[in-house]
Amino acid sequence: MTGNGEPPEASQAFYVYCIAAAGAAAEIAVDSLPGAIEDDTAIELIPVDSLTAVVSRVPLVSYAEENLTQNLTDATWTAVRAMRHQQVVEHFSRRISVVPLRFGTIYLELAGVERMLTERKQELTEIIDRLRGCEEWGINLYSDRKALTAVIDSLSPRLRELNEQVATASPGQSYLLKKKTETLRADECRRELQRITSEVDDSLRQFCEDARRLRVLKVEATEYGELTVKFAFLIKRNSFEEFRAAAERLARKHEKIGVRLELTGPWPAYNFTSE
Amino acid sequence: MSSPFEQVVLQSDFDELETSELSLLETLDHVLNRGLVIAGEITISVADIDLIFLGLNVLVSSVETAQEVLRERERRESVGGTERLHTER
Repeated sequence: MTGNGEPPEASQAFYVYCIAAAGAAAEIAVDSLPGAIEDDTAIELIPVDSLTAVVSRVPLVSYAEENLTQNLTDATWTAVRAMRHQQVVEHFSRRISVVPLRFGTIYLELAGVERMLTERKQELTEIIDRLRGCEEWGINLYSDRKALTAVIDSLSPRLRELNEQVATASPGQSYLLKKKTETLRADECRRELQRITSEVDDSLRQFCEDARRLRVLKVEATEYGELTVKFAFLIKRNSFEEFRAAAERLARKHEKIGVRLELTGPWPAYNFTSE
Repeated sequence: MSSPFEQVVLQSDFDELETSELSLLETLDHVLNRGLVIAGEITISVADIDLIFLGLNVLVSSVETAQEVLRERERRESVGGTERLHTER
């Protein structure tokens, strides 16, 4: 398979996974490295001064601009590459501090990678220092509207009051009041979710270095209800148990009203590469 | 009794991922949308990334296909590894 020798340089590009301190990266055993994004190529370290780029070679036939755009429309192709990107970044981030790059940072020549390391040295070094000893953890908050709607009347004094009015009203009044109750119920559900979101945010921030609220992708409802809020937390490894315990307390506290917390990670600090 | 707290700890070994669909979506979200953006000489535009997410449902349905491709290579590599071990002895 590799017996024909490597393809000429002009048909290849350099795919960059992450950046690390050169000294730390050099100590990672080379024989245990995960597979690269493409078959039959190896992970390479490109050190320039105090930094190293973690790269592998990719064929231009798949990664040149128009070809790449075409490939990205193939869900399987993209999913496989994204997972491999993650495996490589994760291999390094579990061992040393890295700047994880987004999928698809590609240079036509090695010189381009080296120039990038030189030009952005200060910025990259600052990120590596800031992320040292930390991991990213995600908290996803799911809400089951049905379950929440079923209990919201007992949680909201305003709803209780309206319900009492409905019970004693004349048929005509009762109809209008019921309409009013429905609107208020939806509002109160939203408000309760906002309150829980703030509580989760405030409680968990105490255990982390940094936190981000993330864009929620439009995904279908899961068995736990709708994905409502996504957080990313940057956590020192030695604070994780405390963080986890606090998250678990929050999960138990809110499960009864149809709110579920999910913890994902540890991730490379993808969401914390900018201040 | 099941824990009220769902913890999805990611592992490099895909065979051990229990909630693989979720993990794939989470991974795609992290890898495609986040991380430091450095403009390489070949770049994926934001529009391209958005295009991928328009096809998100397709991606979910290709979890199995994607994982089969990944496992296939792991199998090949582990066979290769054994061979290397033999020659070293």
